[in-house]
Amino acid sequence: MEHTTQLVPLNWYLLLSTFLFCLGVMGVLIRRNAIIILMCIELMLNSVNMLLVAFSSYSGNSDGQVFVFFIMVVAAAEVAVGLALLVSIYRNLGSTDIDLLNKLKW
Amino acid sequence: MTFLGLMIPLLPLLGFLVNGLLGKYLPKGSAGWIGSLSVLASFVCVLLIFKDLQAEQAISIDVFNWIALGDFSISFGLWIDALTMIMLMVVTGVGFLIHLYSIGYMHGDEGFTRFFTYLNLFIFFMLLLVMGSNYLMMFIGWEGVGLCSYLLIGFWYKNEPFNDAAQKAFVMNRIGDLGFLLGMFFILFHFGTLDIQTVEQLAPGLASNGGLIMIITLLLFIGATGKSAQLPLYTWLPDAMAGPTPVSALIHAATMVTAGIYMIVRSNVLFALAPDTLTIILWVGVITSLFAAIIGLKQNDIKKVLAYSTVSQLGLMFVALGLGAFSSGIFHLVTHAFFKALLFLGAGSVIHALHGEQDIRKMGGLKKLIPITYITFILASLAISGFPLLSGFFSKDEILAHAFEQNKIVWIVVAVSSFLTAIYMFRLVFLTFFNNFRGSDETRSHIHESPWTMTFPLVVLCILAVLGGLIGLPAIFHVSHWLNTYLASVTEPSAALIHHGDGISHGLEIGLMCFAGLAAIVAIYLMYRKYVMQKAIPESEESQQGFIKAIANKFYVDEFFENAIVNPVFKLSEWFGTFFDKKIIDQIVNRTATTITSGGQALRLSQGGNTGTYVLAMVIGIVVLFIIRLLI
Amino acid sequence: MNTLIYTAGLGMVCLAMEILDLRKLLVPVILLGLAVIFGVNLMSWADSGPVIFAGLDMSSMLLVDHFSVAFNGVLIVAAAFLFAMSHDFYKDEQHHLSDYLTIIVFILCGAMVLTSYSNLVMMFLGIEIVSISLYILAGSRRHDLRSNEAGMKYFLMGSFASAVLLFGITLLYGASGSFKLTEIASYAATYGMDSPMFLVGSLLVVCAFLFKVAAVPFHFWSPDVYEGSPSLVTTLMATLVKVSFFAAFYRLMSSGFAGIDPHTSTILVIVAAATMIVGNLVALKQINFKRLLAYSGIAHAGYMLLAILSLKTNSASALLFYGATYILATIGAFAVALPVFSSTGKETIDAFDGLGRKKPFIAGMLTLSMLSLAGIPPLAGFLGKYYIFSEAIHNGYVAITLLAVITSIIGVYYYFKVILAMYTKAGEDTEIQFPMLYSIVGIICVALSILLGLWPGGLMGLL
Repeated sequence: MEHTTQLVPLNWYLLLSTFLFCLGVMGVLIRRNAIIILMCIELMLNSVNMLLVAFSSYSGNSDGQVFVFFIMVVAAAEVAVGLALLVSIYRNLGSTDIDLLNKLKW
Repeated sequence: MTFLGLMIPLLPLLGFLVNGLLGKYLPKGSAGWIGSLSVLASFVCVLLIFKDLQAEQAISIDVFNWIALGDFSISFGLWIDALTMIMLMVVTGVGFLIHLYSIGYMHGDEGFTRFFTYLNLFIFFMLLLVMGSNYLMMFIGWEGVGLCSYLLIGFWYKNEPFNDAAQKAFVMNRIGDLGFLLGMFFILFHFGTLDIQTVEQLAPGLASNGGLIMIITLLLFIGATGKSAQLPLYTWLPDAMAGPTPVSALIHAATMVTAGIYMIVRSNVLFALAPDTLTIILWVGVITSLFAAIIGLKQNDIKKVLAYSTVSQLGLMFVALGLGAFSSGIFHLVTHAFFKALLFLGAGSVIHALHGEQDIRKMGGLKKLIPITYITFILASLAISGFPLLSGFFSKDEILAHAFEQNKIVWIVVAVSSFLTAIYMFRLVFLTFFNNFRGSDETRSHIHESPWTMTFPLVVLCILAVLGGLIGLPAIFHVSHWLNTYLASVTEPSAALIHHGDGISHGLEIGLMCFAGLAAIVAIYLMYRKYVMQKAIPESEESQQGFIKAIANKFYVDEFFENAIVNPVFKLSEWFGTFFDKKIIDQIVNRTATTITSGGQALRLSQGGNTGTYVLAMVIGIVVLFIIRLLI
Repeated sequence: MNTLIYTAGLGMVCLAMEILDLRKLLVPVILLGLAVIFGVNLMSWADSGPVIFAGLDMSSMLLVDHFSVAFNGVLIVAAAFLFAMSHDFYKDEQHHLSDYLTIIVFILCGAMVLTSYSNLVMMFLGIEIVSISLYILAGSRRHDLRSNEAGMKYFLMGSFASAVLLFGITLLYGASGSFKLTEIASYAATYGMDSPMFLVGSLLVVCAFLFKVAAVPFHFWSPDVYEGSPSLVTTLMATLVKVSFFAAFYRLMSSGFAGIDPHTSTILVIVAAATMIVGNLVALKQINFKRLLAYSGIAHAGYMLLAILSLKTNSASALLFYGATYILATIGAFAVALPVFSSTGKETIDAFDGLGRKKPFIAGMLTLSMLSLAGIPPLAGFLGKYYIFSEAIHNGYVAITLLAVITSIIGVYYYFKVILAMYTKAGEDTEIQFPMLYSIVGIICVALSILLGLWPGGLMGLL
């Protein structure tokens, strides 16, 4: 562990996961397919996971790594619910395009 | 005494609960008696207290400690002193008569029970308003009477304009309430209490902080302009005539609209410390009183005339307050409650007889057909016009005397507006009751005098309207002014703060009284010539015929009056009514309301239903907040 | 802690009852269970020592203090109302009853975690327990496209906000080296905003909370989701969930960020102002009742943000009081609205036309609830506003408080629109079915609103 941390400075992890996070945000903003959006949100969560692990190992505090497991579990639950919703929408609408979801407005 | 004091508001509340909850199970028509008797019982409580309570005494009833937060507390308390007593007698007394009258007037209406439910609730809130020992209690009543007022204006909901009228009353009152509420917050944070008596005691100590007191009083006055229909928030009152006539009598003439006057007199020390506010009140009152009187000249709806008249009379009361003559304001409030309630009830009786006809051009000749209504109505009109020795004469004269003493211009304007009062009232009287009936024969055959539940209140109020002036006889009669003495404990602290003149001499006072009485008589005569002898009715007045006929009759004097005074004034009235009232005031208020709602509409459209846009808005929100965070 | 454990246990019992096919007993059992839990909660008021579970000190995870016990009490009562109403609301969906009710029990668990967390991990878990359950409930009418849409929108935006929250938490962890609120607080007190990582982290967490409480500009989900969800779920979101998020937000700001720094307070002032303006103005033009209450909820979120702003003077009691009055008034309104909706088949304001004539008593309940929401004295809603506003003024937020007063006056208009519809419009002659449980819930809510309006001391003095 010791030598890897010396190889890559913490800031690089920070930059990388911020970049991935922003990529996820861009994906959510640009893509219209609900499945892709779901994946982009996963990307955001995973960038956070990576950052947590990095912080955890740099500070020698295991809390962060434990938290990663929590996030994974929660993300799995979220995806399960999300996909279920997606299926019922697909049955009713025949599409997964979120732009079609605009009955509720104003 | 405490028990009686508590019963005063609780009895109408009980009536409300019984009617509201059990109304369905009670025999039809009993709601009216339940409602009326609960108010009567409350009136009896008031009288019992009045018998024992000395003028300088006050009863303070702390029902319980309402809010205790850190260093200050507000009690749920009632406060009964001389001023409260006067208001209580008006509210419960006149209120009872109007309840009684409504039994006959609303007979057979499908919303009979509902009507009395609202009416009792109104009385309850009105009593809270006048009895509240702190501004918060007063505000509860203030909001409550507002709510009942909207419900009653929109009572006949099948008619859409009625709902619009309720809406308008709502918007204008909200502006006023905002003033009241903000005033209350300012009081709380600078006096640390909302208790009226404590504020009144602390206020002189803060006199050096004049600007602050001026802001507070101005805010409270904005509240008063909303409730008491003063410029620029008055146009809701004429529109509120859409409600049933007893409502107009009770809420829009005798009680609720005088809440603003009551509130200012209640906080008279505060207002006395803000001379600039008093000046503003004075001029708002003067202008309102004149404008409303002018507009009233040309109205053809019997209730609209009375509505503008109410606005004008309320203006007169504000003039009294602005002059620092607080007890004169209350005096006129009391006499006005009598004769204006009577006028509205009389108008209601006329409308009842004519099956809903409100246009005075289609009336006429009713004096033989509904004699009791006629006699009471004409006495009330004489009273409001300031005919000598009737109640309105004394109360108006007192205000005129104060005006004469302090500011001659105010006196002139107020004298003119009270002259106009006589004109529009007698235009109304002559068109309604004299000459021949102008409606259809079919209607005529159905005209009948109202049942006793309606005529009895008319007679009682008529006696009050005639004799009401006795509570405030001027000094020249060599008896003490009872009302001033009675209210002395309330108004004394402020009297010391306002510089009054030395008073006017008895001779001058008699002169002024004669002048006012004479003016009223001249006005009545002018109208008699025009509408009874010449039989003018509003439509034909501009036609050639009337003009030629007048010349042919060689009424040169009349011609002079007609062309030099009456016609221009009528023209002005028409212009004010259409241009000023509808175009300017209504537009400003409506524009404010529509600007706000269209702002809402624009923002509403930002909610396009598209998830992508929502997320984008969130991201932009985060970025903007981030930038703000970094910049400051 | 016991409260939470018992509530989770109640959820298990509900699941077991489904297996044993005891659906008919479900609502009574849950109500009974909640009564027990309420008692357990009351008992934990006295002992505010460290939280010991299975021999381990859990204080760094959950902290049972007066704040959490008081809020839990309010939430349990709110949940009891919701369950009582669910009996009739889910009458036609008996085969899903236990699913729905169990999920609501678990939402209550999540809400309890939110009131008592002392660690960001627990905060995250609490938020997710509540949110994921709500995604399911919002989309629970599977064949109704509007419900699907509500669920999906809520899900997408909610998980997006969760990701933002996580990123913020991670940055806070990176800066302070811990998830514990106490250590974050001491870090904030020493280094505060000098650390850019902490600054960004705190901002992102605040934004995520603003999303959860539906503050402008993060409010867009709420009207759509409120409108599309089944009405009972709307009630749940508008009351229990909203207040628990506010409790969590307050806890974070007061014990996590060591009070509020001037920069954050400026941001919150801007957000609160925008929230009040947008919430009240847009509500003016709404015709759908649920949407109207969504915007009203946004406006109320603006007022409650004032309590968060003024935490220097311990405005927790003001927030508690406001939350309780808001819950009571909103549930009181929905207790009338739900049966009216199902009888008339409409969810617009004109569904209430003529209700004052047809059912004066029911209409009276809705009137009082609306008046309480509008903040008309002597109902509790007025005092709630009053406390929050006076706290804000004591903390020097005069301008924003004036704005709050003005917007709340504007707000009176749309609440009165409902009242005027009931009393001054003639409605169709549809018979309105009004089941007993709804009226009981309505009566209790309105009675409590009046009682709290007249005797606020009981709830006010708690914190």
